[in-house]
Formats: sequence, structure tokens, C-alpha cells
Amino acid sequence: MNRRITIQAQELSFGYENEPVFTNTSFSIGAGELVALIGPNGSGKTTLLRILLGLLQPNAGQVVIDNRRLQAYDPKQLAKTVAYVSQQTGLNFPLTALELVSLGRFPHGSRLSFSSADSLAVRRALEATHSLHLSERTFTTLSGGEQQKVLIARALAQSASILLLDEPTVHLDLFHQLQILSALKRQCVEQQITVLTVLHDVNLISLFADKALLLGSGQLRACGPVAEVINEANIKELLGVDMKAAEDPETGLRFFIPRDPFRSRIDQT
Amino acid sequence: MSLKKPSWSLIGIATFLSFVLGLSVGPVPISFFDMSPTDRLILFNLRLPRSLSAFFVGGGLALAGAIFQGLFRNPLADSYLLGVSSGASLGAAAAVVLGLASPVASFAAISFFAFLGSLMALAVVFYLGHGNPGFSIFRLLLSGLGVGLFLSSLVAILMLMAGEELKSLIFFFLGGFASSGWDTTWVSLGFVPLAVIIACYFAPELNVLLLGEETAISSGIHTGRIQLLYAMLAALLTSISVSVAGLIGFVGLIVPHMIRLIFGADHRTLFPLTFFSGGVFLVLCDTAARTIIAPAELPVGIVTSLLGVPIFLYLIGKEHAGYTF
Repeated sequence: MNRRITIQAQELSFGYENEPVFTNTSFSIGAGELVALIGPNGSGKTTLLRILLGLLQPNAGQVVIDNRRLQAYDPKQLAKTVAYVSQQTGLNFPLTALELVSLGRFPHGSRLSFSSADSLAVRRALEATHSLHLSERTFTTLSGGEQQKVLIARALAQSASILLLDEPTVHLDLFHQLQILSALKRQCVEQQITVLTVLHDVNLISLFADKALLLGSGQLRACGPVAEVINEANIKELLGVDMKAAEDPETGLRFFIPRDPFRSRIDQT
Repeated sequence: MSLKKPSWSLIGIATFLSFVLGLSVGPVPISFFDMSPTDRLILFNLRLPRSLSAFFVGGGLALAGAIFQGLFRNPLADSYLLGVSSGASLGAAAAVVLGLASPVASFAAISFFAFLGSLMALAVVFYLGHGNPGFSIFRLLLSGLGVGLFLSSLVAILMLMAGEELKSLIFFFLGGFASSGWDTTWVSLGFVPLAVIIACYFAPELNVLLLGEETAISSGIHTGRIQLLYAMLAALLTSISVSVAGLIGFVGLIVPHMIRLIFGADHRTLFPLTFFSGGVFLVLCDTAARTIIAPAELPVGIVTSLLGVPIFLYLIGKEHAGYTF
């Protein structure tokens, strides 16, 4: 599969005050791919997303978005290319879901009017995330899963070709996790949108992701198709847990069943 | 987009009626249709500048509150609670005591020093209140409280040092429009509408900032510039209000809250509506302040506090739909 490269990290290094988060990290992601970013807590996943967004400057190396260096973009151009869903934002004001999603049109809109193209993009984004029926509800009164869908709709309304998400399924019930990832997958397939998302669940990764980036203790451990890089050995090395692989007879996808790491110790005592 | 569309004609009518009331109520009865020269003098040189001052101070304070709330993403912020008003009164008091306000441009100089004072207070509160990530409302309000008390003590020291200027200093604490004339009204006429227009112009940016700094930056917004701009605007509005009328509390808290409950939180409508409603509110409060115990006057700050404190406590006590603290 030869895809157009949309995100390219070239020999990125970053550290906070002499403590390196990662060094010499390179990878590339193609259009229409759903890529999962996985690694233990504190391995620099959010930091990597922030660098790809230009919120943080790498100490060395560079980011290339759609064949252009990140620094060459002005902020609004970049916003039309890359959209971001950060970890849950605490909104304290009574905005409706529709108003919130409309904010995604900021980089496109003129100050005074909301064009029909804007309305259409907002409507499509709400539909794509199964949240059209929430439009008139006040955001703060929605459930966690509904809020997350609306926040993702805001990013989709930005009409960017690249979407970065920081743990979009955290704290959500399984139904909403599946609904959100399925909606993202659909965006990749139908709209050729590139999605890079932090995801902790290896089974959801096998189900939805095309590629995985494994980030652990200061470097990129692996980057490649899910079937190649998500395996027992890599999981053990990256996350420090034993997981037993099994195959779903229906889909042929590989799944993992965790082993209780404390079990043997309990048995001994 | 919100539940009820704001009715601009309604706002216009309310503004007009508040002025009619403000102009016609007073110790001397005036007939609008058959005015004597004295009536004219009272109307155009006393009541009109007074009502205009009350309108611009009320609108300015309410808008400053709405700006601080949007900027710090919390409905409890306001120039009074953040200590910015105290900074302004210290600046104004310093200008009076140190004799920096020359007789020629005295009011402009007082306003300017009030502006410097409010910026100073705001800088300290900004610095202390900025946690990671973003602003923490607890840090902001606690540091605002501390800074406010500290600066108020400095004002008290200045008052003890002051000789004959003592009287003009006392009014900073009482708050009122009894001494408002055209000389104090021009400054607000010049700066306040300008601040309102700029605040409304950048409202879409502030809307996106409600979702957090990272989301705003990734939407193409220069967040630092927008935050600085709004901080300056709010400080300007606060310092003009303090220079004109002293310390008047809670207008910046009540008015934006009410508008938000009825018309929603979109700053594009919130800002203009808040400005006009704040103006109308203070014109009415001032009219009440000079009629309740006529011929004596209540300081208008007492009227706004009497109305404001119960609403403030209600706000803290009740977690509203759409509000979380």
C-alpha cells in the first residue's frame, strides 16, 4: 500500500530540563491511516502530540506535515490541516453542543457570518459522531461519553485532514469507546483523514488501528502495522505485563488476554 | 443559537427608560416640557453627566467582569474579587496624595494612575493564579483576595498620610456619582465605547479559549496576545470605573451571570448585552441610592452589594445547569 505521507517526524528529540523524554525518534504516517500511540504512563505520548501540533518545540529534529515543515505554517493554516482533541477540557459555561461544535469553524469562518459551508461542516461532524440529537443540549449536562463525542465533533468540524487525539476513550463505557473509534475509522476510510490517537487498550488497537507507535522509556520501540508490532513480546517489554495472544476465529484478528501479574505471588503466600 | 434570541430593541428601550428615570428623579422636580434656566442647568450639568457616568461605569464594570470570567474560564471571577479594583484605587489614591494629579488634567491623571495600579494588581494575580494547566480559580480568587486586602491597607496608609486630600480619598471607598460632572464623564465617553467595540470584535477568539489554551492554539489563535489584550481591556474598564465612582462591587458578577443564564455563554452576544444591562442596572441603582433616604444619599456601592451578595452566595451554593466550580 503506497499512501501519501501526511505526518513525518524526523529525528525528534525532546526533554524537560535535562531529562530526555525521547531521543532521535523518526516515523511517518500516511493519509487515511488510523494510528494508535501506545506506551506506559509518562512515556511522552502527550508530549509527542504537542510537538506534532507545534505546541512544544523539539530540541532537535523536525516535523513535516503534508510535505511542509511545521514552522512554515501560520497558525490558521495549520489549524485547517491539523485538528486536536486534548484530554477532557473543563468547560464552566453553558454552551450548547451545537455552539461548541461551531467553534471548530474558527479557522475557516469570517468574523461576522456563519456561511452555509460552515453549517454543513458542523452538521456533518455532529452526524459522524452520532451526536446530532445532542445539538441543543447544554454541554455540561451531557454524560462523559456524549461530551467526548461532541468534543471530537468540534475537531471534525475544523475540516482538517489530520486529527490528533489524546486518549479519546478514557473513562468511557465500552459502547462509547467502540462508537467513537468506529466513527474515527469511518473518517479514515471515507474521507482519507489521518488519525493519530493515544490508545491504551491493545484489543481496541487490533480492532481499529492500521498501525501502532510503541513509545517507551525514551524512545520509539516499534512502529508498523498492528499485526506486526502488537505481539506478546512487545507488550511485555513495553508495558511490563504478560498477555496471552489468541485469534478471533470469525475475523482472524489477534486478541490479548491479560494474566494477573500478582497471581503467582498470592499463590505463594 | 441560544434559547432566546436577544432583543436589541428591548435593550434600547430599557436604556432609554433608565435615562428618563435617572434624569427626572431628584430632589428638585423638573418639568421636561417647560424648563426654566435652573431646570436646564440641573438637567444638563448635573443629572445628565451623572446618569451617563453611572451608565458607563455600570456597563464597564459588568463587561470587565464578563471578560475576566471568560479569560479565566470561570463565572466567579470579577474585578472586585480579583483585587484589580483595589489596585485601581491605590493608583488613584497615590495620584491624589503625591500631588501627581495636576489641576489641569486632574481626572485624566487619576484615571491613568488607576490604570497602572490595576495592571500591577492584575500582573500579581495572573502570576500567582497561573497553575498547570491553565488558571486555577482557587489560586486566582485567593490571590485576588490577598492582593486586594494588601492594597486596601496601602490605601488606608495613604489616607492617614493625606492631609487636605483626605476627603477626596474617602469617596473612593464609598463609591458614588454625587460628584460626577462633565469633567469626569469625558474620559469614560472616550475610552469605554472603544473598549466595548474591541471586546466584541475578538469575542470569537475568546469563545474558543473557553475550551482551553491548547485547543485554542490548535484552532489558530495567538492565545497569549488575546489574553493580554483582554486583560488590558478589563483593567482599563475597571480603572475608569474606579476613578469615576470609587469601589462598586458585584456589578461585574451579577450582570454577566444573569445574561448568561438567559441568552447563553456566546461572547458575541454576551459582551454587548452585558454592557448595556450593566449600564441600565447602575443607572437604576444610582437613582435608588439618591431617593431611598432623600435628601441624603446612600453610596451606590451599598445598593449593588445589597443586591449582589445574595446572588453571589446563591451562585456558590447552587451548582447550576451549565456551571461547575
